[in-house]
This record gives sequence, structure tokens and C-alpha cells, in this order.
Amino acid sequence: MQKDALNIVVTGVGGQGQITLARVIAEAALIRGINAIVAETHGLSQRGGTVIVHVRLGNADAPLIPPGAAHVLLSMELIEAARYSHYLARDSIAVVNDYLVPPPLPGIKVPSTDELVSTIKERAGSLVIIPATQKALETGDVRVANMMLLGAAIEAGAFRDYIDMSSAEKAIQSVLGKAARQNIAALHNGAELARKAIKQ
Amino acid sequence: MAHREVLSPPGKRVIMLGNVAIARGFLEAGLQFAAAYPGTPSTEIVEALSTAAKLLGGKPYVEWSVNEKVALEAALGAAIAGARSMAAMKHVGLNVAADPFFSSAYLGVDGALVVVSADDPWMWSSQNEQDNRWYGLHAYIPVVEPTGPQDAKEAAKLALLYSEKYKRPFILRTTTRIAHTRVPVDTGEIPVDRLEPRGEFHKDPSRWTLVPQYARRKRVELLEFWDKISVELASFPLNGTEGSGSLAIVGVGLGYRYAREAARILGVEDDVTVYKIATSVPFPRPMAEKILGHDTVLVVEEGDPVAEIQLKTIAQEEGLRARILGKRDNLLPRYGELGLEKVVNALSKLVGKEPPKWAVDPPTSVEEKLPPRPPVLCPGCPYRGFFYALRRAVNKLRLKPVYSGDIGCYSLGVLPPFHVQDTIIEMGGSIGAGNGFAHVLRGDSDITIAIIGDSTFFHSGITPLLNAVYNNAPLLVIVLDNHTTAMTGHQPHPGTGIRAIGEPGYAMSIESVARGVGVGKVLVADPFDVKDSEAKLLEALRYVKEEKKPAVLIAKGACILVALRAAYRRGIKPVIYRVNIDKCTGCGICYTVFNCPAILRREDRKAEIDPALCTGCGVCAQICPFNAFEPVSELNPEWFKIMRTAKPEQ
Repeated sequence: MQKDALNIVVTGVGGQGQITLARVIAEAALIRGINAIVAETHGLSQRGGTVIVHVRLGNADAPLIPPGAAHVLLSMELIEAARYSHYLARDSIAVVNDYLVPPPLPGIKVPSTDELVSTIKERAGSLVIIPATQKALETGDVRVANMMLLGAAIEAGAFRDYIDMSSAEKAIQSVLGKAARQNIAALHNGAELARKAIKQ
Repeated sequence: MAHREVLSPPGKRVIMLGNVAIARGFLEAGLQFAAAYPGTPSTEIVEALSTAAKLLGGKPYVEWSVNEKVALEAALGAAIAGARSMAAMKHVGLNVAADPFFSSAYLGVDGALVVVSADDPWMWSSQNEQDNRWYGLHAYIPVVEPTGPQDAKEAAKLALLYSEKYKRPFILRTTTRIAHTRVPVDTGEIPVDRLEPRGEFHKDPSRWTLVPQYARRKRVELLEFWDKISVELASFPLNGTEGSGSLAIVGVGLGYRYAREAARILGVEDDVTVYKIATSVPFPRPMAEKILGHDTVLVVEEGDPVAEIQLKTIAQEEGLRARILGKRDNLLPRYGELGLEKVVNALSKLVGKEPPKWAVDPPTSVEEKLPPRPPVLCPGCPYRGFFYALRRAVNKLRLKPVYSGDIGCYSLGVLPPFHVQDTIIEMGGSIGAGNGFAHVLRGDSDITIAIIGDSTFFHSGITPLLNAVYNNAPLLVIVLDNHTTAMTGHQPHPGTGIRAIGEPGYAMSIESVARGVGVGKVLVADPFDVKDSEAKLLEALRYVKEEKKPAVLIAKGACILVALRAAYRRGIKPVIYRVNIDKCTGCGICYTVFNCPAILRREDRKAEIDPALCTGCGVCAQICPFNAFEPVSELNPEWFKIMRTAKPEQ
């Protein structure tokens, strides 16, 4: 018997590694014998556009999560976290990268980080913000920021008992192969960042 | 090599993208020949098959064809010669391939032929929303639909086996949420020896030529086949019935997953009978008769009401009075994708159950308070500098351009600040429609500028160019040549000299094609060099205005994503740029007119570079009037070479 569906919305800006993040979550679930469905965004929207990936673990048939029914929001970017915050259910958790990418359209008004955070807070049961991109840049490879977010989400209990650090590590091995080492390090860095963020 | 999991050993449970599962299904069914032109959401099928063929020593035969028509013709030819074949395309690709597609229904095959049509409801990456199951009804070609990504592999396998059994083409119709959804897939055996691409042609003009004397007979045979298959599809292994309640829900294709979960969410599994339909065209008649025995029938399907209308027709023919609901009555929306909230809502009205709050009163989006984030040209995209130069050149000559646009990354030039796509129609439409603009926009300052990519040019730009020369249409054709089919994820094309499975091929030169069809002025520009681009554009534009003849300008520079990958592989790290704040005056040219996403506007209007986004293309340093952009360390000339020449590795 599969567990009830756990609905996870993964968002960000095209190119930030949302699909890889979703793949690792699905793989980690499968390693633990839990069903997974990942509905992705490909093609045109990938070019620096807004991206939403729907991840459903457990007893789920349909690929898409309806607005108001997501238990978890993982976002690589603040505006995109706000854009999809209406996907969250009441008792949900959002884990968000403290990174703002203004859309490169001339003359648009970009909300401040504070405004965005308060919008997300209105929708999320709880919110954890970590500086994943900043930390990733410090380690020399911005591409691992997505695994930091995953580590933070696991640490924050976002995945309940569906996936854990050990299944995530195995999933990273299987999905990322040669790049696994630095990504597993990023996973732990992310968990550490979450511990700090939660303490504050 | 992408999608290596397609060759996972048998007996495993592996997470695969729907398209990769489809590729796997074809391999398990003994596919021998595959051809496709890339198009979202179909591309990964042949990408995965390319990987398989590469690892299995050319089994099956796999190619990227120049367009969908050729892909389908090639697959049909191979199938006539006895091979198990398939051609994959996005929904609009089947419009391009419609001619051989209709003929294939009359001809039949000696091996097998499956045409994969990947439909894109809500147009995530397409110009229209088109349900290609109509093509099945129109051409008398049966349609198999996976009932979700969960059985995409089986559906592909069965489609090929059924085609082989009936010696007729079949459509495998998927939609975005099947093609681009990952699920665990149970792998079966791949009969590697049967993948060998080998056929035999049996001469028989009465079978293989569609002259009237034979075509008339074939028309009658086709209708007989249609009546027969309408009955026999009832036993298609993916069709089935679940439950025994009084309300019938017909879950067609992916609609089945939504129907099943909606019934579970509402707790009405015992009150409904779910009919799972994987063969939507022709609707299996024996199943229809059972369904129509219910008083009320809800049809859940992705796209148009294709199954619903067939059920209504059968009800009328059989004199059955079931109430058939679905999209015709707007119980389910007639546009966009299905969603759980939509199906739960529709079903709740029929069973009188209170739906969960999210289905009736979902939280509202804050979208309108946020800046939009449409897809944009990547930082370092060669097209950005070129569009910048194009607008300068046109302004310098005081021309009034019509930018006849096309399908590819450069479609993003529709956005501000570029505005260099006034029309976007279909593949090749830039030059095609440009022929019309050029003959009627006759003012002194009018100019028609067709903008097309390299892959699109090979796909369907050559014939309209030939037409422009023949009929002397005075237009400038700009071919943006980034040495790849970038939008769909970097597939090679005839210009790259690389074939699908990585073998070298003949590298077709766009200049030679243009000269060969008789274009009198053919120029090549470096899009990473703004001055060079502007000079060549001025020369070409003057030629068109003065000589009143077509000209072709080819802008050659690699897709930056391909170049970055090539650089990483060779251990070269592009040097990024930064802003010298003392030199920056805050004029804003870089973040408004040039509009690189890596250049941000500071509070004081000065520019700053986001080091996470900068690719080191260096074009900003050319356009800044105050020389405020500078590399963070010494530049590597190797990178600038890679940027111009990199090609996708297969």
C-alpha cells in the first residue's frame, strides 16, 4: 500500500537546476520503494523563463498538482517562489533560496526581498530561507545550489518520512554520477544552512 | 549521451521520462528504423533511440531528418520494405508530414509504421493547441494513447506490434504530461538482434502505387479495415474497466489518471465504473456499447472532445439515450490541460459530493503583483548582439522594417527591447510570408527582413528562398546559424556535419545553398562582433533596397550553452566580466537596449554583473560607450574561438 500523495512544487528560473532537483527527489523516493511522478517543463520556457516542476510521491495518479494542494514548495528564486505560492496548502512548508533574479525586461518594477518573503509567508505554513546560491558561489560552482536547497528541505522535515539524507545521497550518486561528490557535499551544506536558518 | 537509462537491463524498475519510456517500448518491440525532426514535446524519443543505437552499434537505424515530412516518408519507405519503423514529431510536425501520412493509410506497410504525434495542450512550447487524434479520424489511421506516463512504454510497444499485425500505420498520440513526466518504468527484454535495420522490397505496383485504378480499390479496403479494427480494438491490452458503479467515467489516455484519482479523492470509487481507453480512434465499438448502457457518462480526455463526439455518434446510431457529458457542454474546459481540480469539480457535480476546498476555492495567484518572467535569450546568446546591431543598422538607413519571424530561440526577439519578430507563423514561414510582404510593401523606406534559424532553414527555408529568387522578391533573409537545433535541446542538423548517432556526415553550407539557388548577395557575419554584424547588415540592406533583389546574411556563432559545455569539457573556464563603477555613468544601454540578463541595474542606475549568470561572451564590452565592462582576469583566446565554432557532441 502506497503512502498518501506528498505534493512538492519545485520552481525557479530556467537553468537553475529545477529538473535535476526533482529527479533526485524522485530517485530518492524510488530507492525507498515509494512511487514518484515528476511533471517537468521543457522547451521554450527553459530559456531563462519561469519554471515549475510538479513532484508527487506516494499514491498519486495524475501528473499535475492543483493550486492549494502542495505540501511543499522548493524554490531556487524568490520571485518564482511568490509566483507559485498559491500552490501551497494551509499546513505546508516552503524552502526558498535567498536569491532574486530580476526578469530582464526593460522598465519593470521588481519587488523587494522583504515584499516577496511576506507574500510567501502569507501562503506557507512555515518558511525556511537559505542563501544557497551565495554559498554555492563561495564553493566555486553555482550549479550545486539546487542540492543545497534539497539538503535544507530534508533538514527542515519537508519530506516527512518519504525521503531522507541517506536516500538522497544514493539518488545523487545515481542521477549525477561523476558530479556526485560535490553535490553530496552541497546537500550537507544545505542541511547546515537550514539548521542555522531555523535557529534564528 | 542523453537518456542512457533507455538501455537499463531487463527486470528493473527505472525512473524514465515518458519519452524515454516510449523509446524503450519501441526497442522492446523490435524497432528497426527511427526518424524524426526535433520538436517539443517529442524530442527525447529519438534522442534516447540515438543513444541506444550508438551503444548497440547502429541498431536500430536512427536519424534526425531535415523535417517531419521527410522523416515520415523515410519511415514509410523502410516499412514498405518490411522494417518495423517509426517517425516522431510534435503535433504541428504532422501538418508538415500530412501528405505522406494520408497516403500511408491507403498503402499500408510490409513491416510496421508508428507515427508518434506529441501534442502540446496549452502551448507550452508551440504555436497552437492541436489535437492530432482528428488526423486519425481524417486519414483512417488508428490512434493509441498511453493512459499516462505510467504505461507509455507498453503503449509504444503495443502500437508497433499492432501495426505489424495489421500491416497498417498507427498513431501513438501523447501529450506534454505524458512525454515530459518521469515515472518508474519496469523494463522488459530488448531483442537486440531483431533491431538490425534490414528489409526486403517486394515489387507489386498494385500495392505500392497510388494511381487511380489501385487507389480506388484501396479506399474501399481502408473502410473495411476501419470497421473491423473498430471492433477488434476492444481487446487492446491497455483498455479495461474498473469498478461497477452506476456512473460511467470514460478515462481516455491521460484522462484515465485524472478520472481515477478524482474518484479516489471524492471517495466515490464504488459509485462509478471507470472505462480506461488507450485506443481513442476509432473508439472501440463493443466498449462504447457497454458505456452507453449507463444512464450518465462523463468523458475525461486531454484535448478536443474526440472520444466524446464518437460516443455521441454511436449513441445516435444505436438509438441509446445515455447522457454523455464532457467538453461539449463545458463541464470540462475545452482549452488547456486537464487538472485534478477540473476533473474533481466535474465529477463532484455528478455524484453530489462536496469536493475538497482546493477544487472549488483555490488560493488566488499573486501573479499580477509580480513582474512577468517570459523566456529570454540566454546571457551570451549570439542573437542578442546581432539583434542590437540589426536595430542600429535599420535605424541608420531610416528603414521601416517588417520582421518576418520564425520558430526557434530567436522567436524570443518578439519581446522588448528587441521587437524583431513582427509575425510568427510556422516553421519556414519567415521567408515564405516574406515573399508576400516584399511584393506588396513597396514604399521607399519599406523593407522585409526574414529571420530564420539554421535548423529551421534546412527544415523548410530553402523552398521559399528558391521562390524569392525565382519571383524576385526584394527581401533580406537573415539566417541565424548557431550550429545546432538549440530550442529543443541541441540536436545536430545537416549544417553541423554530425548525424544522430554521432557519426560524421556531410556538413551542408548555408552559403552554398543560398548561392546555389541563385541569391546574388550572400554575406557572413560574426554575431559576437557587433561592428562586423552592423557593417554586413548595412551592406545587405543597401543591396536589397538598391538592386530590388533578395539577399542572404548568415550570422554564425555557437549557441552559448553548447560553447560552455565544450569549454568545460576541455578544461577552459570562460573569464567573466565586471563593471568598473568609476567608468559606469548609469546610461543604461547595457541593461535596457542590449538587455543581457546577467547585467543588473543598481539602485543608482549604474550597472552590475551577476557573476552567476555571466558567460564571458564579452559583447557588453563592445556596446558600452564608456568602456566600463572589463574582464575579471586575463582573457583566454581559446574561449572566443569555441564561442564561435562549438557544435553539439552526440
